[in-house]
Amino acid sequence: MSLRHFMQYALAGLALSATALTAHADTLRVGMSGGYYPFTFVEQDVLKGFEVDVMNAVGEQTGDDIEFVTASFSGLAGMLDSGRIDTIANQITITPERKAKYAFTEPYVYDGAQVVVRKGNDAIEGVEDLKGKTVAVNLGSNYEQLLRELPYADDIDIKTYESNIEQDVALGRADAFVMDRVSATQVIKDKPLPLALAGQPFSRIENALPFRDDEAGHALRDRINKALDVLREDGTLKQISEKWFGTDITTP
Amino acid sequence: MHVLDLDYMLGLLPILLGYLPLTLEMAGAGMLAALVLACLLAVVRVQRTPGLNALAMLFISFFRGTPLLVQLFLFYYGLPQILTFLVAINGITATILGLTLHFSAYMAESIRAAIVGVDRSQTEAALSIGMTQGQLMRRIVLPQATRVATPTLMNYFIDMIKATSLAFTLGVTELMGATQKEAASSFLYFEAFLLAAIIYWVVVEILSWLQRRLEKRLNRAYQR
Repeated sequence: MSLRHFMQYALAGLALSATALTAHADTLRVGMSGGYYPFTFVEQDVLKGFEVDVMNAVGEQTGDDIEFVTASFSGLAGMLDSGRIDTIANQITITPERKAKYAFTEPYVYDGAQVVVRKGNDAIEGVEDLKGKTVAVNLGSNYEQLLRELPYADDIDIKTYESNIEQDVALGRADAFVMDRVSATQVIKDKPLPLALAGQPFSRIENALPFRDDEAGHALRDRINKALDVLREDGTLKQISEKWFGTDITTP
Repeated sequence: MHVLDLDYMLGLLPILLGYLPLTLEMAGAGMLAALVLACLLAVVRVQRTPGLNALAMLFISFFRGTPLLVQLFLFYYGLPQILTFLVAINGITATILGLTLHFSAYMAESIRAAIVGVDRSQTEAALSIGMTQGQLMRRIVLPQATRVATPTLMNYFIDMIKATSLAFTLGVTELMGATQKEAASSFLYFEAFLLAAIIYWVVVEILSWLQRRLEKRLNRAYQR
């Protein structure tokens, strides 16, 4: 292939992707990690979970095609910022920093931060026992920040992970991990890892869908908000929540 | 006591194999483009083309001097914030581009070494019987340089196949991304990652076998 031909192909490819981008008006591109059971996970090559069901229900309301894009969690914010996806459905907690940067929908999940330890570890009975311990959290998650805000944060060895925090606590490399209460409970119930909840949840968290903070992002956010309202009213959200968690986590 | 869950692995095998073509396509496309770019860079470096030589050196210095993951993040997430039209490049293309730029920097140096390694007396002999520069390269230098460069270039190709496992950070679900997601829902980490390792290993072994055959062929002229 000559260089000229190559350039022609390359330009044609660029033009194609550009038209594909503008054609996204009624396709909602939803980013998620696909690795956060049971919110978003892949089993036998099929993407499933609470977030997938919620977004599909939203799509039925708004008439948008929902296109799921999976990427590692730490890459999702970059994909949203650079316009490669329209929102993130991955149990995104509203924090003041994120609120300053993104346009959030109303919360659709109410939950708490939970300390989880290896089964049989009685030394940690809650967040106040984490002093001097090694604690695993997901990179870029708000749980890292929650830990850093504790008055004794300097005495906690916080380890950030791209994935697999559950495994490192089960193996004993970290003393505890922190994630949301409902996922932790579900993982312990469904999966073969020797883990146990340590004490009560220590911080209330609210999850919502973030959109880019511009005109198009706001318009999209308002549209999705309306759909979420309908789904909350007609009991769809409650039904999806009960399917995955056995309880309703979509109301405060 | 955790026992190896063979049924799970057997079930996972066809699923993971389904992602192998994408892994190989990205590595194959990256390798072809990197070869072209590396040859150009090597020629510029060998001939010390004024101006271009300095550029080539800067290029090689940067792409050899920074981690591939940093380059991928820089170009995929960073650059589109400044040059917004770059958003049109999808994750697969970005991965191939990243592999091309990164590995061409390494390959240029080994191609350059192979060209320089051809004895100078042969160049002089060829020129003395009236060969042009082009004939000299085509008939004398490149056939010998190819033989010398082949093992290291194959090494880079093998490395490139494994480097595609970074593509999941750009939202491309290839072999490693698929494995991570399956492992994160089954929590059978050992089974899932062992299977992925075996698949990469077998692919590389097949390539190594092809490499041995290729080298034998290239060595024919040297056997007596």
